[in-house]
Amino acid sequence: MTDATASAGRPTRITRGSPADHPSIRRPLIRRPDVLIFLAILALVTIGATVLAQTGHVSTSTVKLLGKTLCLCLAALAMDLVWGYTGILSLGHFAFFGIGGYAIGMWLMWDRTELIVLDTLARNPLPATPLEVQEAIGSQIFGVVGSTEIPWLWAFAGSLPLQLAAAVLVPGIVALIFGWLAFRSRVAGVYLSILTQAGTLALSLWLFQNDSGLRGNNGLSGLQNLPGLDHVPQSTISLWFLWASALALAGAYLLAAWTVAGRFGSVLRGIRDDEARVRFLGYEVEHYKLAIFTGTAMACGIAGALYYPQAGIVNPAEIAPIASIYLAVWVAIGGRGLLYGAVIGAAFVSLLSSWFTGGGAPDIDLGFYEIRWTDWWLVLLGLTFVLVTLFAPKGLGGLVDLWTERRSRRTSDLGPDEGALRAEEERP
Amino acid sequence: MSALLEVSGVSKSFDGFKAIDNLSFTVGEPELRAIIGPNGAGKTTFMDLVTGKTRPDSGSIRYGELSRDLTRMSEAQIARAGIGRKFQKPTVFEDQTVFENLAMALASPRSPWTVLTRRPSMETRAGEVAERVGLTAHMRRRAGVLSHGQKQWLEIGMLLAQEPRLLLVDEPAAGMTSAERERTTEMLVEAAKDHAVVVIEHDMEFVRRLNCRVTVLHEGRSLAEGSLDFVCADPRVIDVYLGRPEAGAEAEAEHA
Repeated sequence: MTDATASAGRPTRITRGSPADHPSIRRPLIRRPDVLIFLAILALVTIGATVLAQTGHVSTSTVKLLGKTLCLCLAALAMDLVWGYTGILSLGHFAFFGIGGYAIGMWLMWDRTELIVLDTLARNPLPATPLEVQEAIGSQIFGVVGSTEIPWLWAFAGSLPLQLAAAVLVPGIVALIFGWLAFRSRVAGVYLSILTQAGTLALSLWLFQNDSGLRGNNGLSGLQNLPGLDHVPQSTISLWFLWASALALAGAYLLAAWTVAGRFGSVLRGIRDDEARVRFLGYEVEHYKLAIFTGTAMACGIAGALYYPQAGIVNPAEIAPIASIYLAVWVAIGGRGLLYGAVIGAAFVSLLSSWFTGGGAPDIDLGFYEIRWTDWWLVLLGLTFVLVTLFAPKGLGGLVDLWTERRSRRTSDLGPDEGALRAEEERP
Repeated sequence: MSALLEVSGVSKSFDGFKAIDNLSFTVGEPELRAIIGPNGAGKTTFMDLVTGKTRPDSGSIRYGELSRDLTRMSEAQIARAGIGRKFQKPTVFEDQTVFENLAMALASPRSPWTVLTRRPSMETRAGEVAERVGLTAHMRRRAGVLSHGQKQWLEIGMLLAQEPRLLLVDEPAAGMTSAERERTTEMLVEAAKDHAVVVIEHDMEFVRRLNCRVTVLHEGRSLAEGSLDFVCADPRVIDVYLGRPEAGAEAEAEHA
C-alpha cells in the first residue's frame, strides 16, 4: 500500500543522489569534484607561493617548508592507500621515504664533491689521475667517519639517472621482498605492524653505524646545493622543488583516485573489511596486498627524493620508527580511507608541528608553571590522536564529508529500508 | 548427471576432536542437495574443506572433469575453478554499494593488473543479477543499510554472479520471514536447474520445500542419504536428530 508506492517511486529518486559517491557511474577522473577541488587548491597554493616569493613577501625557508609539506602529503597519500583503503597498517613506510632521500642524496653529494675536487686538483701542476680523483672524493665524503675508501653502495653515485632509478626501485624491491615473505605467510594485523616497525628499526640502526657506507649518524648533508648550479640562488631552486613536489603530488593524487575507483578499489576495501570473503570470490588477496604495498613504497621513495634536497640533510634519525608512526598519525587525524583526508592530515599536522616546535606558538605562563610548546606539542598531538580516534574516526576529512552529505541527504536515499519483501507481499 | 564433486574418505580433526570422520560424498551437475544434521555434525567444516579454508588430514576431494585435487589449491583458485560459497551469516561488504558488491563477484579476470587497467562496464550484467535476486531498486544503496533478508539475497546474488558450477549455500533461510524464505527457495531451485547446489540447513520445513535428495550428517559421518521422507524414516536419524528437534535447534541457534 503506502510502502509499495514508496518503493515504486524510489528508483528514480536514488539515481538522483550525488554521483560522486558512486564510482560505478562512469565519470572521467578529472571531472570528479574531489579531484577538481584538490587540484585547484594545490595550483592556487603553488602559484600563490611562487608569486609571493618572487615579490619578496615570502622567505625562501617558507617556500621550502611548503615544498617539504607537499612531499609529506604525498607520503601520507601512499600511507592512506596501504592502510586506509587496504587495511595494512604498515609502520615502515617512512623508511622507504628515507631510502629515496638517501638515493638522491648520494648523487647530490658525490657529484658536487667531484666538481669541487676536480676544481682543486686542476690547480696542481700535474693533471690528476682518476685514482687521485677517487681518493680525494673518498676522503672528502667519508673523512667524517674516518675512512677514505668508497663503499660499494656508492658504485653508481656519479650517475643521476641510476640514482633516480634507485630512489624508486630500491624501496620497491625491499617492499616486494618484505611483502612477499609477510603476506605469503599470511602475517596480518598487529603482527605485520610490529614486523614493519622492526624492519624500520633495523634499517635505522644499520645506518647509524659508521661502517654502513652511508656516513653513519652524520647522514648526507649539503643536499640543498645542486651540483653545477652554484650560480643559481636558493630562492630559485626552492621554487623549482616546490613545483616539482606539487606536480608529483598532483600526479599521485590522480593515480591514487584512479586506483581506488572501480573494481580494484572495491577489492582493496574488501580486503580491509573481510579478507577471507575476498578470497572466496576468487581474488588472490596476497597479490593485491603485495601490489599496493610495493606501489606505495615506490611513491614514498619519490616523495623522499623530492623532500631531502629541500631539507638539505638526511640522516638515520629521519628513518627512526617514530617517523613511520607519525605518518600513521597524520592519516588517522586527516581521515582514513579518504584521499583528501590524508593530504589534509599531513599538511595540517606537519605545518602545525613546525609552528609549535619552531617557537611560533607563544608559551603560556600559568604562574606556577610555564607551558612551553616545544615540549608540550607532542602531548597535544597525542591527545588529538586519541580524541580523533574515539570521536571522529573519519578524521578531519570526515568533516568535509559531513558537509557534503548534509547537502545531499535531501536528494539521496539513506533512510531505513522497507524490508526485503514488503513490495512483493503486497502483490495479489 | 555426472559427478562434479567427489569427496572420498575425508577426515579432519581439531585438537583430537573428529569434526569429519571418513566422509564420502558425491554431488552431480545439475543437482540440488541438502545436508542436514545436528549442531557439531561437521556441516560447516565440510564446506571449509571443499572451499580450501581448511585442509583434510586424509582423503581426497576431486572436482570437475579433470578431477582436480582441491586439497592442493588455494581458496581463490578453488573459487575461480567454479565453486562458490555463501556463508551462514550474511557476509557482504557493508561499506560498499549493492552494485559494487555484485561487480566484485561477477565472473571476470581476477588478476590485480587486469582489474586495475581493464575496466569494462558491469552495469548490465550486475543489473541482470540484481533482477534475479530482487535488488534492482537498491543498486546504489550501501549494503550495510539493507535488511537482513536483503543481505542474504545480495549474497546469493554475488554467488550467482560468480557463475560457479557448484554452489555451497550455508543456511540461506536463517532469520528470514516466511515470504522471504519462499522467494529464497525459488532462487535455489531455479539455480539448481543448471548448477550443482548444496544447501546446508537444519530447518526441516525449508528442506521439505526444496524437494531434493538429503544427506544426514552426524559426528562427521554420513548417516543416511535419500529423499527427506526416506531419511526421516531411518531409525538412526530419528535417534540423533529428529527425536529431539527442539534441543538440536536451540543448540544450533546458540552456535549461530
